[in-house]
Amino acid sequence: MSNVKESTLEGRAPKKLPKGDKVIDVDVHAHETPAALIPYCEMPWRKSLELISKAPERYLDIPFFAPQMAVWSPPFPQSGSERRQVVTSASLVRKDLVELVIDIDVFFPDKLLLLAALRDGDYATAVARAYNRWLVDEWLGEDNGMKGAIVAPSQNPVAAAEEIRRYAGHKHVAAIYLPSCCVDPLYGHRSYDPMYEAAQETDLPVLLHSVTAIYPVFPFNLNGFTTMFSAHIASHGLSMVANLLSIMETGVPVRYPKLRIGFSEAGIGWVPWIMMRMDKEYKERRRELPFLTDLPSTYVRQMFFATQPIEEPENMKEMATILSLFGGEKSVMFASDWPHHDFDHPNKVLQIPVSPGVQRDILCGNAARFLNLKEKI
Amino acid sequence: MAAEYTVGRTDDLPAGTHKVLKVGGREIGVFNVGGSYYAIPSNCLHQNGPLCSGSVSGTIESRAETGWKPAWVREGEIIICPWHTMEFDITTGVCLAEPRRRIPTYKVTVIDSEIKVTIP
Repeated sequence: MSNVKESTLEGRAPKKLPKGDKVIDVDVHAHETPAALIPYCEMPWRKSLELISKAPERYLDIPFFAPQMAVWSPPFPQSGSERRQVVTSASLVRKDLVELVIDIDVFFPDKLLLLAALRDGDYATAVARAYNRWLVDEWLGEDNGMKGAIVAPSQNPVAAAEEIRRYAGHKHVAAIYLPSCCVDPLYGHRSYDPMYEAAQETDLPVLLHSVTAIYPVFPFNLNGFTTMFSAHIASHGLSMVANLLSIMETGVPVRYPKLRIGFSEAGIGWVPWIMMRMDKEYKERRRELPFLTDLPSTYVRQMFFATQPIEEPENMKEMATILSLFGGEKSVMFASDWPHHDFDHPNKVLQIPVSPGVQRDILCGNAARFLNLKEKI
Repeated sequence: MAAEYTVGRTDDLPAGTHKVLKVGGREIGVFNVGGSYYAIPSNCLHQNGPLCSGSVSGTIESRAETGWKPAWVREGEIIICPWHTMEFDITTGVCLAEPRRRIPTYKVTVIDSEIKVTIP
């Protein structure tokens, strides 16, 4: 179902982008296949990858490796996208990103967006380690603006902490990716403390990122829906909501006050809604969250949110209003999700009628702070 | 204009007790917290519930000093609104859920065992 059309980006650079302004994109996807990871994977799991590499591959869906399980709704041609939806090499994607006028980008995986769905913790950890070795080795070797988010295997937070400490010193490792699709328990669970401790200690931000799946854990028990339309909305948005609620329950932002927390690929419209709901509920149930010393919104305002897939109201002024409801002018970061089906071009963010300063912060400044980039922007 | 009201005798308000009464046309609560006297309006800033008709309590906090374990603290210093359980520090009027907001506190003096509250 994925196809191989060449880039359709040429000549579509944003006209409104002021000269000299840089663009940071906090969500671009590399394309790791089981075959590509074989040489990077420890035994005996290398044997598993050798077998899995022979399995047929669907878009973001490989049995035993990326078990999306969303196979019961009928697909239609040209629903979603007919573009090439994978980037198979660092040089190919760099060319795309130049056409998107993106200067710095943060790579996430493709298939391993489903890493948390793997139930064997040892296997999942080995696959995560293999991915991190592969990413650093094959994608992050040059000073060309390509940064990476190393994956933290949720099945083994102690191993995740080791991975964080192992790669924190790498000049192009800029973030930690927390696989949020099918994650169980949710990211507030105290078992994740070693991971957050390592992230705070190494000054690497964590970014939650989900993907579509139908799975028997909240909020992925989506068998009530018949379309990807519904499953896709719920898988991304509700996963961010669920994990934000969970990390608030156990006071992660209070217990790790220097930890920078970001949420990816759910748009931003959900943020004011859940923030206000939490504040409302907290007033009655403060004792259940004794870690917090202020309203939940206080902590939400210290978190970061990636734009994609950005909401597209007819009047984009409404997006400026949404930003203003949670201080998003200082916390929202541009993300393209290139080359996935629902990628956003910088053109869309530039349609939000905010001041040039806020535009620059969304395209660059907020992400530079979130990632704590050392180089001059 | 500020006015001083006698609201009772110390014998009638032992430590750990409080009473709700009307003075100058408004409902207030008068509290004895460990031998010190406090007075606040009986109006919750949340939805104007009858705050002082609620229970006096301690509360739960979880801080680094206790290894992030929940601890029961400030026994007798917290009043809980009976409507939605919003908590307030009786001694300062500060709302525990919204620490930037508080209800007023009234000046309380004791003269010859008589408790007097000044309402601004």
